[in-house]
Amino acid sequence: MFNAIVSADTLRTALDSVSVLVEECKLRLEEDGLEIRAVDPANVGMVDLSLSAAAFESYETDGGVIGVNLSRLEDIAGMAEADQLIHLELDEETRKLEIAIDGLEYTLALIDPDSIRQEPDLPDLDLAAEIILEGRDVNRAVKASDMVSDHIALGVDEAEDMFYVDAEGDTDDVHFELGREDLIDLTAGPARSLFSLDYLKDMNKAIPSDAEVRMELGEEFPVKMHFDIAEGQGTVTYMLAPRVQSD
Amino acid sequence: MRLDDYIEGFERDEAAHKRRLAKEKSYAITDHLEDVERQLEETLSGDALFGSTAPEIFVGRSGYPQVNSGVLSPVTDDHDPTDFATSGNWYADGLGIEDVLQRRTGLLNSQRSAKVDVEDVWDGFVGTQREVAIADQPVDVELGLDSTPEIDLSVDDISTPTGPRARAESADLAENPHVPRPVKKTLSDDDWRAEGAMTYLYRKGFDVYDVNTILSAGALGQGANRRLVPTRWSITAVDDTVGQYLRGQIRNAPSIDETQVWYNEYMGNKYWIVLSPGNWEFELVEMKAPESVWNPVGEAHYLASAHEGYEGRTSYVDETAGAYYASRLGVLEHLTDIGRQAKCLVLREVTDDYWAPVGVWQVREGVRNAFDDPGGLPDDIAGRYGVAETFREAVTGVAEQLPVSLGALRRKSEMVAGLQAQLSDF
Repeated sequence: MFNAIVSADTLRTALDSVSVLVEECKLRLEEDGLEIRAVDPANVGMVDLSLSAAAFESYETDGGVIGVNLSRLEDIAGMAEADQLIHLELDEETRKLEIAIDGLEYTLALIDPDSIRQEPDLPDLDLAAEIILEGRDVNRAVKASDMVSDHIALGVDEAEDMFYVDAEGDTDDVHFELGREDLIDLTAGPARSLFSLDYLKDMNKAIPSDAEVRMELGEEFPVKMHFDIAEGQGTVTYMLAPRVQSD
Repeated sequence: MRLDDYIEGFERDEAAHKRRLAKEKSYAITDHLEDVERQLEETLSGDALFGSTAPEIFVGRSGYPQVNSGVLSPVTDDHDPTDFATSGNWYADGLGIEDVLQRRTGLLNSQRSAKVDVEDVWDGFVGTQREVAIADQPVDVELGLDSTPEIDLSVDDISTPTGPRARAESADLAENPHVPRPVKKTLSDDDWRAEGAMTYLYRKGFDVYDVNTILSAGALGQGANRRLVPTRWSITAVDDTVGQYLRGQIRNAPSIDETQVWYNEYMGNKYWIVLSPGNWEFELVEMKAPESVWNPVGEAHYLASAHEGYEGRTSYVDETAGAYYASRLGVLEHLTDIGRQAKCLVLREVTDDYWAPVGVWQVREGVRNAFDDPGGLPDDIAGRYGVAETFREAVTGVAEQLPVSLGALRRKSEMVAGLQAQLSDF
């Protein structure tokens, strides 16, 4: 059983943060909220999302897993105004999701969850540095780097006590520094890893500019980026494998 | 074989090879064009030309959707017309740049302006042209020309050069063309998308050269979408489509288990192919020497690159154009043969010995044959590869042989900058 009402804005934000990586995913219906974990087909980028029951106007379930085509669901959610409510109800018999937006009813065929790529375990990484910064600074770094290159180095300069971004292109370079005073917080440690901008650009799209992003970084290790959505009632974690230079 | 032994193997041969290439390089083409003119005069009876056509057609791209579309026929009849059509055999036969230009200048392109929309066009000039394209053997055609052929040679980075041109008034089949069964099947099924039909023909043993000619004649795809496809576009479309199919074949294949460096050279182009363990990733980096054909006035090597990750590209490449898809096809054919996937970096050095462009087939064959037994290489490295401990070691070793620094390469190459890891690696 699943029956929930949620604002279009909240649902769209949640779906967008997943759809930048995958086309279909499993929604885990937990008693205290909705959870999605998905990894892209190349096994390079991963998203872990939870949206607490408090983010919904109403939320009832006795548990279960459903598989959805994200772009379909996003299209339907896109039919609503930002402040309109979307009613989601699982029809147990037909295994379809009934979606209602102010008189508009849409019956969405679900996907067999077993046919969707198995979500991985979150690797347990011990990352030496932690940077807390504003979403808009992530955006600036990604946008500027994208002008010159297809990849970006993220690092922490322990001696200077700062977080930096480097992008090297054919001829042009971008360097961006954020000292302790420009950051919300910094735990310095040895960290520098190179990442594909293709992935970071997609992830960046889902990071609100006013979000507080907690970034965990190591040396040639995946980066983790955590931020809140839905006024703190939901959290998103992105994890991205690096491009390695040592092999 | 260790990578440094492998590299030493061909360094010894380099000097001799240079001398041989220099001898090959000649500007006798102008003389040759005069011969062609003379032969043409002898062959033409009035305004008509009768004889076998090569099983290849040429469709221009300027003015699309109203294009110049032509059949290619040898101006003398002392050759098998098949020899004039672009194919992998040219590599096997060891053709040099000059040989290719000679063959192509000996081929009259009788063309006519045509609309590309050809769904049901099987009569008239375009109809004849399409019949010629889908046939697997040369077809006798009678051509009515309305002008004296213009002796010319046009070259392109993707298409094979074409020689003299004439405007054609008519083209009539003088025999029934032989059309192979799989082509009949793709032709008659007008509900079959072009991508699927191209892949089908490739799987049935047609090489990309044949598929390209058939696609170019608008003989594949869903009925309403059937159009003449300019030769240049069609070559890349076939390389890309077949490449995507092959990439799908190795998507879940195990990775190779060592870093390998393969080498080949052809027509003044040198190819270094580095295969390294991991999920599919591909990049072509081109280094074009000053005074080579595509960098005639440059003072330094001109660098270009294009890259794709495990899931492929979503857009056409910005740099390297058709060479990207042609070299990717060569590598994917090797990987599907051995049932493995790999991270693959192709480094193409265009030396100033590449004095005239012969078309992108040269890249395709250069890469394809690196994995077999490329002619012209010393026996102890031909068809073999060097082994490196890591991708980094391979690139560092190869970089010493390249005309650009490792630093410049790192800036240009996504893969040299860093190889994409997977989350499960940690």
